[in-house]
Amino acid sequence: MTAPDANLPADVTLTDAAIAEEAATLDAVWRDAPGFWGWLTSVDHKSIGKRYLITAFLMFLAGGIEAAMMRAQLARPENAFLGPDRYNQIFTTHGTTMMFLFAVPVMNAMGLYFVPLMVGARNVAFPRLNAFGYWCYLVGVVFLYVSLFVNMGPDTGWTAYVPLSGPQFAPGHRVDVWAQLVTFTEIAALAAAVNIIVTTFKMRAPGMSLNRIPIFVWAQLVVSFMIVFAMPAVATGSTIMLAADRAVDTQWFNPAEGGDSLLWQHVFWFFGHPEVYIIFLPALGLITPIIETFSRRRVFGYSALVLANITTAFFAFGLWVHHMFATPIPELGQSLFTAASTLIAIPTGVQIFCWLVTMWSGRPRFTTAMLFVLGFFFTFVIGGITGVMLASVGFDQQAHDTFFVVAHFHYVLLGGAVLPLMAAFYFWYPKVTGRLLSERLGKWHFWLFVIGVNVTFFPMHILGLEGMPRRVYTYLEPTGWGSLNLLASLGAVVIAISVVIFVVNLVKSYWVGDVAGPDPWSSSGLEWATSSPAPSYNFLHTPIVGSRHPLWEPIADAPVLVGLRTDRREVLLTTTFDARPDSRNHHPNPSIWPLYVALCMGVTFIGSIFSPYFILGGIGLAFIGLAAWAWQSSHPAGHELIAAPEAEPV
Amino acid sequence: MRRLRPAGSVAELPTVTFGHRSLMWWGTLGFMTIEGWTTALLVACYFYLRQNFVSWPPLRTPLPSLLIPSINLAVMLISIVPAYLVERAGKRLEALPMRRWLVVSSLFGIAILVLRWYELWSLNIRWDTNAYGTAAWTLVGFHATLLVLDVADTIGLTLFLFIKRMPPKTFSDAADNSFYWYFTVCLWIPLYLIVYVGPRIF
Repeated sequence: MTAPDANLPADVTLTDAAIAEEAATLDAVWRDAPGFWGWLTSVDHKSIGKRYLITAFLMFLAGGIEAAMMRAQLARPENAFLGPDRYNQIFTTHGTTMMFLFAVPVMNAMGLYFVPLMVGARNVAFPRLNAFGYWCYLVGVVFLYVSLFVNMGPDTGWTAYVPLSGPQFAPGHRVDVWAQLVTFTEIAALAAAVNIIVTTFKMRAPGMSLNRIPIFVWAQLVVSFMIVFAMPAVATGSTIMLAADRAVDTQWFNPAEGGDSLLWQHVFWFFGHPEVYIIFLPALGLITPIIETFSRRRVFGYSALVLANITTAFFAFGLWVHHMFATPIPELGQSLFTAASTLIAIPTGVQIFCWLVTMWSGRPRFTTAMLFVLGFFFTFVIGGITGVMLASVGFDQQAHDTFFVVAHFHYVLLGGAVLPLMAAFYFWYPKVTGRLLSERLGKWHFWLFVIGVNVTFFPMHILGLEGMPRRVYTYLEPTGWGSLNLLASLGAVVIAISVVIFVVNLVKSYWVGDVAGPDPWSSSGLEWATSSPAPSYNFLHTPIVGSRHPLWEPIADAPVLVGLRTDRREVLLTTTFDARPDSRNHHPNPSIWPLYVALCMGVTFIGSIFSPYFILGGIGLAFIGLAAWAWQSSHPAGHELIAAPEAEPV
Repeated sequence: MRRLRPAGSVAELPTVTFGHRSLMWWGTLGFMTIEGWTTALLVACYFYLRQNFVSWPPLRTPLPSLLIPSINLAVMLISIVPAYLVERAGKRLEALPMRRWLVVSSLFGIAILVLRWYELWSLNIRWDTNAYGTAAWTLVGFHATLLVLDVADTIGLTLFLFIKRMPPKTFSDAADNSFYWYFTVCLWIPLYLIVYVGPRIF
């Protein structure tokens, strides 16, 4: 039988003893192997999501330390704390870390951890691909930081513009490190994106039709599609073009042989602009359930929020040239991209108004998570407004490559992504660890962070308007930029203190925080229907969903589906639109091969910097791993029921 | 937590499905989207660089040869037939015909890869000579990596079928393998026209 409301087989009863026995059986099947080996071979989305989150957070701290070093250098004119060469490496690594190793992975990590829990699934669609993605990301992290410590850190900015980053002006391997680092992060992001898309399309709990998906999952879905279409652009630019120009003398960017350095900017920003929204849209998904929960009402304008999300994603691909207004772009193109850049403020505005209405008409409770959401409104709107200013070609040509731009994108990224992310940490930390974060420390964290961000970055608007260029390691005293720079640096000290408080809160609460229970906030999403932290199998039985807010439904008991096998890893697949139960899927067990193949990718791409032959060797070794990977999943399991190929519900 | 109320059982649902009902089909579709889009971007870059030249191919650069690329295109188009027969046998759950046509598909794959090597040299220019050479080599070379992946997958699947007892989901996997092969061949048609025929026209 397939319909959720059909009759049960006679022998199904859910007594407490039966539940306990089933839980034990499921745990034995789904939990990771014990010890270090279990850690290496895990394919559990929660284990991998957690290590993604921790690694990305460490990268946030590393990027923050680099930012602090830059602020120390710029605190007064003609400072000698960092020399020009070191400064170049530090600002490049800061940007690269924050964009490629923190912001995108941390948002992916939130999706990989929570999407299965929010849609009522046992795992992501491709668990080993998930592990492979994380290991690739980790290889990239280690590669960048080892390179930095051996004085091989990239030094041409996170945008790596040619010809500065080309073979002629950047000999040595510093730019190669950047180009290949990007390769690892794009593999990881694409793996995560495909996983999230297929998990959302095929593994939703019965009853969770497309119009009942949580906004968080919608945001993750939309962003995953953006990754699928944006990441190939940077893959093309960095791996196929820049790295090849440097390693095997291709001529993509060499004007002497018909190449074109502006092509790099097109390819890079065709990825780079959507990248901003890849970071920002998941954050919008993060704050919606927080606002709903603490306003004690359903979000206003569900459909408008979803449509605004999708519209923003479309527009995001039509804005890239506004990063290139200082290059010879035809006037018609300039006008088009100005219009598009201004237009994107509309769907963003729609979302902001939906949240404001939700709060206004609800009964808001100002927990730390909610405070961070309010901080997001304030900070992000300032960043958005300067964004609209920069969309004007005339203004952009004045402010281009000045600190005004630095101020703008830090307001957008810190306001639009980091503040919502911190709200999310306070909201979902109990689901991940079983304990609540301290609200008292949280409020210190919030106020110091928001004040610090504004003290650091607001003066940069003025510095930029006064003409201070970005990416300079020092400036002369007569420029008069000293006091505002000092103010910005003092703001950075405040940010650093707030982050230290946050880290103390995270660590301390892990051990002594209040025990959360399954649903500490009385929230509405499915992830709160299971214990905190969720067991290895996520849900004892497949939940059946009757609305957008399953836990707020006024019913006495929760309907579930039974019948998935408990003696092997089995998940339920549902139809794409209506989420009707469709089939059972045998899910993979833990495996070492994702790690092995990721290491082979490391040999391939890191080695390719030194000799193209490493590509052949690395790929050859990877094929052995892929064969073993396939071999592992091809064991006959017995008792299979084969569907007729022509019977195909959608 | 609320009490759980069993409202139905999924025990009788199938465990092996085909096409869009299977996860692997969706994964394959995702991979195809990524690779197809990357190819589209490379084509855009090819034409972007075209603007930097008065003539295409540039002056004193020979036209690419047509013979081997045309033969390979024909072989690729013919190879769709055994790929289709693999898919059909898979969907009919016929193990032996499926294995037989996988062998044929593998042989086609190897032939296509050998021809691809000569096809690269049929461009009559090196990748490092000028931007035209770079763009043309990249289009053909990038597609070659897709061919290598799919041929390796086909050969691997075929070998597995000879050396071990495979689970029933292999029928579905083989059908998905054909699905990916159709994509790889179809993707080549515009690339062939752009790289080998195009310079004769524009």
